[in-house]
Amino acid sequence: MIKISHLKKNYGKTDILKDINITIKSSEVVVVIGPSGAGKSTFLRCINSLETITEGNICIAGVDLTDKKTNINKMREKVGMVFQDFNLFPHMTVKENVMLAPLRVKNCQVQEAEGKTMVLLQKVGLANKADVYPESLSGGQKQRIAIARALAMEPDVMLFDEPTSALDPEMVGEVLEVMKQLARDGMTMVVVTHEMGFAKEVGSRIVFMDRGSILEENSPQELFNNPCHERTKAFLSKIL
Amino acid sequence: MDFRFDIVAEYGAFFLQGTLLTVGLSLIGVLLGTIIGLFISLGKMMKSKWCSLIFTCYINIIRGTPLLVQLLIIHFGIIPLFLHRSNGIAATIVALSINASAYIAETIRAGIQSIHKGQMEAARSLGMTYMQAMRYVILPQAMKRMLPPLGNEFISLIKDSSLASTIAAPELMYWAQAMNAQYYRVWESYLTSAAVYLFLTFTLTQLLSKLERRLNIE
Repeated sequence: MIKISHLKKNYGKTDILKDINITIKSSEVVVVIGPSGAGKSTFLRCINSLETITEGNICIAGVDLTDKKTNINKMREKVGMVFQDFNLFPHMTVKENVMLAPLRVKNCQVQEAEGKTMVLLQKVGLANKADVYPESLSGGQKQRIAIARALAMEPDVMLFDEPTSALDPEMVGEVLEVMKQLARDGMTMVVVTHEMGFAKEVGSRIVFMDRGSILEENSPQELFNNPCHERTKAFLSKIL
Repeated sequence: MDFRFDIVAEYGAFFLQGTLLTVGLSLIGVLLGTIIGLFISLGKMMKSKWCSLIFTCYINIIRGTPLLVQLLIIHFGIIPLFLHRSNGIAATIVALSINASAYIAETIRAGIQSIHKGQMEAARSLGMTYMQAMRYVILPQAMKRMLPPLGNEFISLIKDSSLASTIAAPELMYWAQAMNAQYYRVWESYLTSAAVYLFLTFTLTQLLSKLERRLNIE
Protein backbone atom coordinates (compact mmCIF):
# COMPACT_ATOMS: atom_id res chain seq x y z
CA MET A 1 0.00 0.00 0.00
CA ILE A 2 2.62 2.49 1.14
CA LYS A 3 6.31 1.97 0.52
CA ILE A 4 8.73 4.52 1.90
CA SER A 5 12.40 4.19 1.12
CA HIS A 6 15.33 6.33 2.25
CA LEU A 7 13.06 9.24 3.18
CA LYS A 8 15.04 12.27 4.33
CA LYS A 9 13.81 15.70 5.31
CA ASN A 10 15.71 18.69 6.56
CA TYR A 11 14.91 22.29 7.34
CA GLY A 12 18.03 24.21 6.43
CA LYS A 13 20.78 22.35 8.25
CA THR A 14 18.57 20.58 10.77
CA ASP A 15 17.80 16.97 9.89
CA ILE A 16 14.22 16.19 10.84
CA LEU A 17 14.02 12.76 9.22
CA LYS A 18 17.08 10.61 8.55
CA ASP A 19 16.67 7.67 6.24
CA ILE A 20 13.21 6.33 7.02
CA ASN A 21 12.31 2.95 5.47
CA ILE A 22 8.96 1.33 6.03
CA THR A 23 6.35 -0.64 4.14
CA ILE A 24 2.72 -0.49 5.18
CA LYS A 25 0.32 -3.17 3.96
CA SER A 26 -3.34 -2.83 3.20
CA SER A 27 -5.62 -2.89 6.31
CA GLU A 28 -2.65 -2.52 8.59
CA VAL A 29 -2.85 -0.12 11.55
CA VAL A 30 0.60 1.32 12.14
CA VAL A 31 0.96 3.32 15.34
CA VAL A 32 3.90 5.70 15.53
CA ILE A 33 5.11 6.58 19.03
CA GLY A 34 8.10 8.46 20.37
CA PRO A 35 9.16 11.58 22.26
CA SER A 36 8.21 15.02 20.94
CA GLY A 37 10.64 16.33 18.37
CA ALA A 38 11.23 12.82 17.06
CA GLY A 39 9.81 13.75 13.65
CA LYS A 40 6.61 11.71 13.95
CA SER A 41 4.34 14.46 12.65
CA THR A 42 6.74 15.44 9.89
CA PHE A 43 6.89 11.80 8.82
CA LEU A 44 3.10 11.67 8.61
CA ARG A 45 2.88 14.98 6.76
CA CYS A 46 5.39 13.76 4.19
CA ILE A 47 3.08 10.86 3.32
CA ASN A 48 0.54 13.23 1.80
CA SER A 49 3.00 15.85 0.63
CA LEU A 50 2.11 18.55 3.13
CA GLU A 51 5.88 18.66 3.59
CA THR A 52 8.20 18.51 0.62
CA ILE A 53 10.70 15.74 1.10
CA THR A 54 14.41 16.34 0.69
CA GLU A 55 15.44 12.89 -0.49
CA GLY A 56 14.02 9.42 -0.96
CA ASN A 57 10.83 7.91 -2.31
CA ILE A 58 7.27 7.47 -1.17
CA CYS A 59 5.02 5.17 -3.18
CA ILE A 60 1.32 4.96 -2.45
CA ALA A 61 -0.59 2.20 -4.25
CA GLY A 62 2.23 2.04 -6.75
CA VAL A 63 2.28 5.78 -7.48
CA ASP A 64 5.53 7.58 -6.75
CA LEU A 65 4.96 10.89 -4.95
CA THR A 66 8.38 12.21 -5.80
CA ASP A 67 7.75 11.81 -9.52
CA LYS A 68 7.15 15.29 -10.95
CA LYS A 69 4.42 13.90 -13.21
CA THR A 70 2.36 12.64 -10.27
CA ASN A 71 -0.77 14.68 -9.65
CA ILE A 72 -0.50 15.39 -5.93
CA ASN A 73 -4.14 16.47 -5.67
CA LYS A 74 -5.36 13.17 -7.14
CA MET A 75 -3.13 11.28 -4.73
CA ARG A 76 -4.39 13.28 -1.74
CA GLU A 77 -7.97 12.26 -2.54
CA LYS A 78 -6.87 8.72 -1.64
CA VAL A 79 -5.10 9.71 1.58
CA GLY A 80 -7.28 11.17 4.32
CA MET A 81 -5.74 13.21 7.10
CA VAL A 82 -6.94 14.06 10.58
CA PHE A 83 -5.15 16.88 12.40
CA GLN A 84 -4.43 17.52 16.05
CA ASP A 85 -6.38 20.78 16.07
CA PHE A 86 -9.27 19.54 13.87
CA ASN A 87 -9.08 22.33 11.27
CA LEU A 88 -12.79 22.26 10.56
CA PHE A 89 -13.97 25.08 8.31
CA PRO A 90 -15.66 27.49 10.74
CA HIS A 91 -17.73 29.30 8.10
CA MET A 92 -19.58 26.12 7.10
CA THR A 93 -22.05 23.90 8.89
CA VAL A 94 -21.01 20.38 9.83
CA LYS A 95 -22.77 18.97 6.77
CA GLU A 96 -21.14 21.50 4.45
CA ASN A 97 -17.75 20.67 5.94
CA VAL A 98 -18.16 17.01 5.07
CA MET A 99 -19.74 17.64 1.66
CA LEU A 100 -17.31 20.29 0.38
CA ALA A 101 -14.62 18.03 -1.05
CA PRO A 102 -16.96 15.43 -2.63
CA LEU A 103 -18.85 18.28 -4.32
CA ARG A 104 -15.88 20.31 -5.50
CA VAL A 105 -13.18 17.71 -6.02
CA LYS A 106 -15.18 14.66 -7.09
CA ASN A 107 -18.02 16.68 -8.66
CA CYS A 108 -20.65 14.56 -6.94
CA GLN A 109 -24.32 15.47 -7.23
CA VAL A 110 -25.66 17.36 -4.21
CA GLN A 111 -28.19 14.68 -3.34
CA GLU A 112 -25.68 11.88 -3.55
CA ALA A 113 -23.14 13.81 -1.46
CA GLU A 114 -25.81 14.68 1.09
CA GLY A 115 -26.84 11.05 1.43
CA LYS A 116 -23.28 9.89 1.96
CA THR A 117 -22.66 12.70 4.43
CA MET A 118 -25.59 11.64 6.58
CA VAL A 119 -24.38 8.03 6.56
CA LEU A 120 -20.92 9.18 7.68
CA LEU A 121 -22.33 11.46 10.38
CA GLN A 122 -24.38 8.52 11.63
CA LYS A 123 -21.24 6.43 11.71
CA VAL A 124 -19.45 8.94 13.96
CA GLY A 125 -22.64 9.37 15.99
CA LEU A 126 -23.30 13.00 15.14
CA ALA A 127 -26.16 12.93 12.63
CA ASN A 128 -28.11 15.31 14.87
CA LYS A 129 -25.39 17.96 14.48
CA ALA A 130 -25.55 18.17 10.67
CA ASP A 131 -26.79 21.74 10.52
CA VAL A 132 -24.84 23.39 13.31
CA TYR A 133 -21.59 25.33 12.97
CA PRO A 134 -18.37 23.81 14.35
CA GLU A 135 -17.96 26.48 17.07
CA SER A 136 -20.90 25.02 18.99
CA LEU A 137 -19.31 21.56 19.16
CA SER A 138 -17.06 20.09 21.84
CA GLY A 139 -13.49 19.08 20.95
CA GLY A 140 -14.36 15.40 20.73
CA GLN A 141 -17.30 16.12 18.45
CA LYS A 142 -15.14 18.35 16.26
CA GLN A 143 -12.59 15.61 15.82
CA ARG A 144 -15.26 13.05 14.94
CA ILE A 145 -16.56 15.45 12.28
CA ALA A 146 -13.02 15.89 10.99
CA ILE A 147 -12.76 12.11 10.65
CA ALA A 148 -16.08 12.01 8.79
CA ARG A 149 -14.88 14.80 6.51
CA ALA A 150 -11.74 12.85 5.61
CA LEU A 151 -13.76 9.65 5.08
CA ALA A 152 -16.10 11.46 2.70
CA MET A 153 -13.44 11.26 0.00
CA GLU A 154 -13.41 7.47 0.44
CA PRO A 155 -9.65 7.29 1.01
CA ASP A 156 -7.57 4.12 0.90
CA VAL A 157 -5.39 5.30 3.78
CA MET A 158 -6.12 7.45 6.81
CA LEU A 159 -3.40 9.45 8.55
CA PHE A 160 -3.98 10.60 12.13
CA ASP A 161 -1.68 13.28 13.54
CA GLU A 162 -2.11 13.14 17.34
CA PRO A 163 -5.90 13.18 16.98
CA THR A 164 -6.59 13.21 20.71
CA SER A 165 -3.81 15.48 22.00
CA ALA A 166 -5.90 18.66 21.94
CA LEU A 167 -8.86 17.08 23.71
CA ASP A 168 -10.11 17.17 27.27
CA PRO A 169 -9.44 13.75 28.84
CA GLU A 170 -13.11 12.76 29.00
CA MET A 171 -13.47 13.27 25.24
CA VAL A 172 -10.56 11.10 24.18
CA GLY A 173 -12.61 7.91 24.43
CA GLU A 174 -15.28 8.86 21.92
CA VAL A 175 -12.69 9.71 19.25
CA LEU A 176 -10.69 6.53 19.86
CA GLU A 177 -13.91 4.52 19.64
CA VAL A 178 -14.54 5.89 16.11
CA MET A 179 -10.96 5.07 15.16
CA LYS A 180 -11.26 1.53 16.52
CA GLN A 181 -14.41 1.00 14.48
CA LEU A 182 -12.54 2.25 11.43
CA ALA A 183 -9.71 -0.21 12.07
CA ARG A 184 -12.21 -3.06 12.45
CA ASP A 185 -13.68 -2.07 9.08
CA GLY A 186 -10.28 -2.78 7.55
CA MET A 187 -9.06 0.77 6.90
CA THR A 188 -5.32 1.17 6.42
CA MET A 189 -4.24 3.62 9.12
CA VAL A 190 -1.09 5.40 10.21
CA VAL A 191 -1.59 6.91 13.64
CA VAL A 192 0.76 9.20 15.55
CA THR A 193 -0.40 9.17 19.14
CA HIS A 194 0.50 9.15 22.81
CA GLU A 195 -2.46 6.88 23.65
CA MET A 196 -0.57 3.69 24.50
CA GLY A 197 -3.78 1.86 25.38
CA PHE A 198 -5.06 2.45 21.87
CA ALA A 199 -1.71 1.43 20.39
CA LYS A 200 -1.75 -1.88 22.26
CA GLU A 201 -5.34 -2.69 21.48
CA VAL A 202 -5.65 -1.63 17.85
CA GLY A 203 -2.16 -1.40 16.44
CA SER A 204 -1.04 -4.20 14.17
CA ARG A 205 2.45 -2.80 14.38
CA ILE A 206 4.11 -0.22 16.61
CA VAL A 207 6.87 2.02 15.30
CA PHE A 208 9.14 3.81 17.77
CA MET A 209 10.77 6.95 16.41
CA ASP A 210 13.44 9.11 17.98
CA ARG A 211 15.52 11.97 16.58
CA GLY A 212 14.38 11.46 13.03
CA SER A 213 14.90 7.72 12.80
CA ILE A 214 12.83 4.60 13.26
CA LEU A 215 14.63 2.83 16.10
CA GLU A 216 12.37 -0.14 16.48
CA GLU A 217 9.24 -1.63 15.02
CA ASN A 218 7.36 -4.67 16.18
CA SER A 219 4.02 -6.09 17.19
CA PRO A 220 2.45 -4.33 20.20
CA GLN A 221 3.08 -7.28 22.54
CA GLU A 222 6.74 -7.51 21.63
CA LEU A 223 7.47 -3.82 21.59
CA PHE A 224 5.71 -2.98 24.84
CA ASN A 225 6.82 -6.08 26.75
CA ASN A 226 10.29 -6.69 25.32
CA PRO A 227 11.65 -3.47 23.88
CA CYS A 228 15.13 -4.19 22.59
CA HIS A 229 16.45 -0.65 22.19
CA GLU A 230 17.66 1.38 25.19
CA ARG A 231 15.83 4.52 24.03
CA THR A 232 12.60 2.58 23.67
CA LYS A 233 12.95 1.18 27.17
CA ALA A 234 13.62 4.63 28.61
CA PHE A 235 10.67 6.14 26.75
CA LEU A 236 8.24 3.40 27.74
CA SER A 237 9.32 3.43 31.38
CA LYS A 238 8.51 7.14 31.56
CA ILE A 239 5.02 6.91 30.13
CA LEU A 240 3.68 3.53 31.19
CA MET B 1 -21.68 86.18 4.09
CA ASP B 2 -24.47 85.76 1.61
CA PHE B 3 -24.92 82.33 0.14
CA ARG B 4 -26.44 82.40 -3.34
CA PHE B 5 -28.65 79.37 -3.55
CA ASP B 6 -29.76 80.45 -7.01
CA ILE B 7 -26.42 79.60 -8.62
CA VAL B 8 -26.26 76.29 -6.75
CA ALA B 9 -29.69 75.55 -8.19
CA GLU B 10 -28.49 76.63 -11.61
CA TYR B 11 -25.62 74.14 -11.42
CA GLY B 12 -27.85 71.48 -9.83
CA ALA B 13 -28.08 69.33 -12.93
CA PHE B 14 -24.30 69.50 -13.46
CA PHE B 15 -23.63 68.60 -9.85
CA LEU B 16 -25.97 65.65 -10.16
CA GLN B 17 -24.19 64.43 -13.31
CA GLY B 18 -20.85 64.98 -11.66
CA THR B 19 -21.93 63.08 -8.55
CA LEU B 20 -23.11 60.14 -10.63
CA LEU B 21 -19.80 60.08 -12.45
CA THR B 22 -17.90 60.26 -9.14
CA VAL B 23 -19.90 57.32 -7.79
CA GLY B 24 -19.44 55.41 -11.05
CA LEU B 25 -15.69 56.02 -11.18
CA SER B 26 -15.24 54.97 -7.57
CA LEU B 27 -17.37 51.84 -7.98
CA ILE B 28 -15.50 50.72 -11.09
CA GLY B 29 -12.22 51.65 -9.43
CA VAL B 30 -12.88 49.58 -6.33
CA LEU B 31 -14.20 46.65 -8.39
CA LEU B 32 -11.31 46.50 -10.84
CA GLY B 33 -8.92 47.38 -8.01
CA THR B 34 -10.16 44.40 -5.98
CA ILE B 35 -9.87 41.99 -8.90
CA ILE B 36 -6.38 43.18 -9.85
CA GLY B 37 -5.44 43.41 -6.18
CA LEU B 38 -6.45 39.79 -5.58
CA PHE B 39 -4.07 38.59 -8.29
CA ILE B 40 -1.29 40.91 -7.12
CA SER B 41 -1.64 39.59 -3.57
CA LEU B 42 -1.61 35.95 -4.73
CA GLY B 43 1.41 36.79 -6.88
CA LYS B 44 3.21 38.34 -3.95
CA MET B 45 2.58 35.22 -1.86
CA MET B 46 4.09 32.90 -4.49
CA LYS B 47 6.89 30.68 -3.26
CA SER B 48 9.27 31.67 -6.06
CA LYS B 49 11.28 34.65 -4.84
CA TRP B 50 11.67 36.20 -8.28
CA CYS B 51 7.97 36.06 -9.11
CA SER B 52 7.07 37.47 -5.74
CA LEU B 53 9.61 40.27 -6.25
CA ILE B 54 7.85 41.50 -9.40
CA PHE B 55 4.61 41.98 -7.48
CA THR B 56 6.38 43.56 -4.52
CA CYS B 57 7.92 46.08 -6.94
CA TYR B 58 4.51 46.84 -8.45
CA ILE B 59 3.06 47.52 -5.01
CA ASN B 60 6.02 49.67 -3.95
CA ILE B 61 6.00 51.75 -7.11
CA ILE B 62 2.25 52.37 -7.07
CA ARG B 63 2.12 53.11 -3.34
CA GLY B 64 5.28 55.20 -3.49
CA THR B 65 4.14 57.68 -6.14
CA PRO B 66 1.32 60.25 -5.87
CA LEU B 67 -2.01 59.41 -7.47
CA LEU B 68 -1.96 62.82 -9.20
CA VAL B 69 1.32 61.97 -10.92
CA GLN B 70 -0.02 58.55 -11.96
CA LEU B 71 -3.16 60.19 -13.28
CA LEU B 72 -1.19 62.67 -15.42
CA ILE B 73 1.15 59.99 -16.77
CA ILE B 74 -1.76 57.74 -17.70
CA HIS B 75 -3.85 60.57 -19.13
CA PHE B 76 -1.20 62.28 -21.22
CA GLY B 77 1.12 59.36 -21.84
CA ILE B 78 -0.40 55.92 -21.73
CA ILE B 79 -4.01 56.39 -22.85
CA PRO B 80 -3.06 58.36 -26.04
CA LEU B 81 -0.67 55.53 -26.84
CA PHE B 82 -3.59 53.10 -27.09
CA LEU B 83 -6.57 55.30 -28.06
CA HIS B 84 -4.59 57.86 -30.11
CA ARG B 85 -6.26 60.65 -28.16
CA SER B 86 -6.69 61.46 -24.50
CA ASN B 87 -9.80 60.47 -22.62
CA GLY B 88 -10.28 61.81 -19.10
CA ILE B 89 -12.77 59.19 -17.94
CA ALA B 90 -10.78 56.24 -19.26
CA ALA B 91 -7.60 57.63 -17.72
CA THR B 92 -9.32 58.09 -14.35
CA ILE B 93 -10.69 54.55 -14.36
CA VAL B 94 -7.28 53.10 -15.18
CA ALA B 95 -5.42 55.26 -12.66
CA LEU B 96 -7.89 54.69 -9.82
CA SER B 97 -8.02 50.90 -10.41
CA ILE B 98 -4.27 50.54 -10.54
CA ASN B 99 -3.74 52.79 -7.54
CA ALA B 100 -6.42 51.02 -5.49
CA SER B 101 -5.14 47.57 -6.53
CA ALA B 102 -1.80 48.13 -4.80
CA TYR B 103 -3.42 49.04 -1.48
CA ILE B 104 -6.12 46.39 -1.79
CA ALA B 105 -3.49 43.74 -2.61
CA GLU B 106 -1.87 44.33 0.77
CA THR B 107 -5.25 44.31 2.51
CA ILE B 108 -6.11 40.98 0.89
CA ARG B 109 -2.71 39.51 1.70
CA ALA B 110 -3.08 40.50 5.34
CA GLY B 111 -6.57 38.97 5.37
CA ILE B 112 -5.44 35.71 3.80
CA GLN B 113 -2.39 35.37 6.02
CA SER B 114 -4.48 35.96 9.12
CA ILE B 115 -6.29 32.68 8.46
CA HIS B 116 -4.67 29.79 10.34
CA LYS B 117 -2.51 27.69 8.00
CA GLY B 118 -4.25 24.53 9.17
CA GLN B 119 -7.26 25.61 7.12
CA MET B 120 -5.26 25.51 3.91
CA GLU B 121 -3.67 22.19 4.90
CA ALA B 122 -7.03 20.61 5.71
CA ALA B 123 -8.44 21.76 2.37
CA ARG B 124 -5.41 20.54 0.43
CA SER B 125 -5.37 17.21 2.28
CA LEU B 126 -8.88 16.60 0.90
CA GLY B 127 -7.53 16.85 -2.63
CA MET B 128 -8.50 20.44 -3.38
CA THR B 129 -6.23 22.50 -5.59
CA TYR B 130 -4.68 25.70 -4.23
CA MET B 131 -7.26 27.77 -6.09
CA GLN B 132 -10.20 25.69 -4.84
CA ALA B 133 -8.91 25.94 -1.27
CA MET B 134 -8.61 29.72 -1.67
CA ARG B 135 -12.04 30.08 -3.19
CA TYR B 136 -14.08 27.85 -0.87
CA VAL B 137 -12.12 27.87 2.39
CA ILE B 138 -9.68 30.76 2.79
CA LEU B 139 -11.25 33.75 1.01
CA PRO B 140 -14.75 33.42 2.54
CA GLN B 141 -13.14 33.57 5.98
CA ALA B 142 -10.64 36.27 5.05
CA MET B 143 -13.40 38.39 3.49
CA LYS B 144 -14.96 39.06 6.90
CA ARG B 145 -11.67 40.39 8.23
CA MET B 146 -10.91 42.37 5.08
CA LEU B 147 -14.17 44.24 5.03
CA PRO B 148 -13.26 47.15 7.35
CA PRO B 149 -9.98 48.01 5.57
CA LEU B 150 -11.64 47.52 2.17
CA GLY B 151 -14.29 50.00 3.29
CA ASN B 152 -11.54 52.48 4.15
CA GLU B 153 -10.11 51.99 0.71
CA PHE B 154 -13.45 52.64 -0.94
CA ILE B 155 -13.92 55.85 1.04
CA SER B 156 -10.45 57.06 0.08
CA LEU B 157 -11.22 56.23 -3.51
CA ILE B 158 -14.35 58.39 -3.56
CA LYS B 159 -12.36 61.33 -2.24
CA ASP B 160 -9.34 60.69 -4.44
CA SER B 161 -11.49 60.61 -7.55
CA SER B 162 -11.75 64.40 -7.17
CA LEU B 163 -8.21 64.56 -8.62
CA ALA B 164 -9.75 63.63 -11.96
CA SER B 165 -10.95 67.23 -12.23
CA THR B 166 -7.36 68.16 -13.11
CA ILE B 167 -7.63 66.17 -16.34
CA ALA B 168 -11.11 67.47 -17.10
CA ALA B 169 -13.07 64.33 -16.34
CA PRO B 170 -16.48 65.92 -15.64
CA GLU B 171 -16.99 64.52 -12.14
CA LEU B 172 -18.21 66.37 -9.08
CA MET B 173 -15.09 68.45 -8.40
CA TYR B 174 -14.83 69.45 -12.05
CA TRP B 175 -18.25 71.11 -11.90
CA ALA B 176 -17.46 72.81 -8.60
CA GLN B 177 -14.41 74.39 -10.21
CA ALA B 178 -16.40 75.33 -13.31
CA MET B 179 -18.92 77.09 -11.12
CA ASN B 180 -16.19 78.86 -9.23
CA ALA B 181 -14.63 79.98 -12.48
CA GLN B 182 -17.88 81.37 -13.82
CA TYR B 183 -19.09 83.25 -10.73
CA TYR B 184 -15.94 83.66 -8.60
CA ARG B 185 -17.96 82.21 -5.72
CA VAL B 186 -15.94 80.10 -3.32
CA TRP B 187 -18.48 78.95 -0.72
CA GLU B 188 -21.23 77.98 -3.12
CA SER B 189 -19.04 75.80 -5.29
CA TYR B 190 -16.70 74.18 -2.77
CA LEU B 191 -19.06 73.87 0.19
CA THR B 192 -21.64 72.22 -2.04
CA SER B 193 -19.15 69.73 -3.40
CA ALA B 194 -17.83 69.08 0.12
CA ALA B 195 -21.37 68.37 1.31
CA VAL B 196 -21.96 65.92 -1.52
CA TYR B 197 -18.68 64.07 -0.80
CA LEU B 198 -19.59 63.92 2.87
CA PHE B 199 -23.02 62.56 2.00
CA LEU B 200 -21.47 59.87 -0.21
CA THR B 201 -18.85 58.74 2.28
CA PHE B 202 -21.29 58.86 5.20
CA THR B 203 -23.83 56.73 3.33
CA LEU B 204 -21.13 54.25 2.43
CA THR B 205 -19.93 54.06 6.04
CA GLN B 206 -23.46 53.25 7.16
CA LEU B 207 -23.87 50.57 4.48
CA LEU B 208 -20.55 48.97 5.41
CA SER B 209 -21.28 48.79 9.11
CA LYS B 210 -24.64 47.20 8.31
CA LEU B 211 -22.92 44.63 6.12
CA GLU B 212 -20.34 43.95 8.83
CA ARG B 213 -23.03 43.37 11.41
CA ARG B 214 -24.83 40.98 9.12
CA LEU B 215 -21.63 38.98 8.43
CA ASN B 216 -20.96 38.76 12.14
CA ILE B 217 -24.38 37.32 12.83
CA GLU B 218 -24.03 34.63 10.18
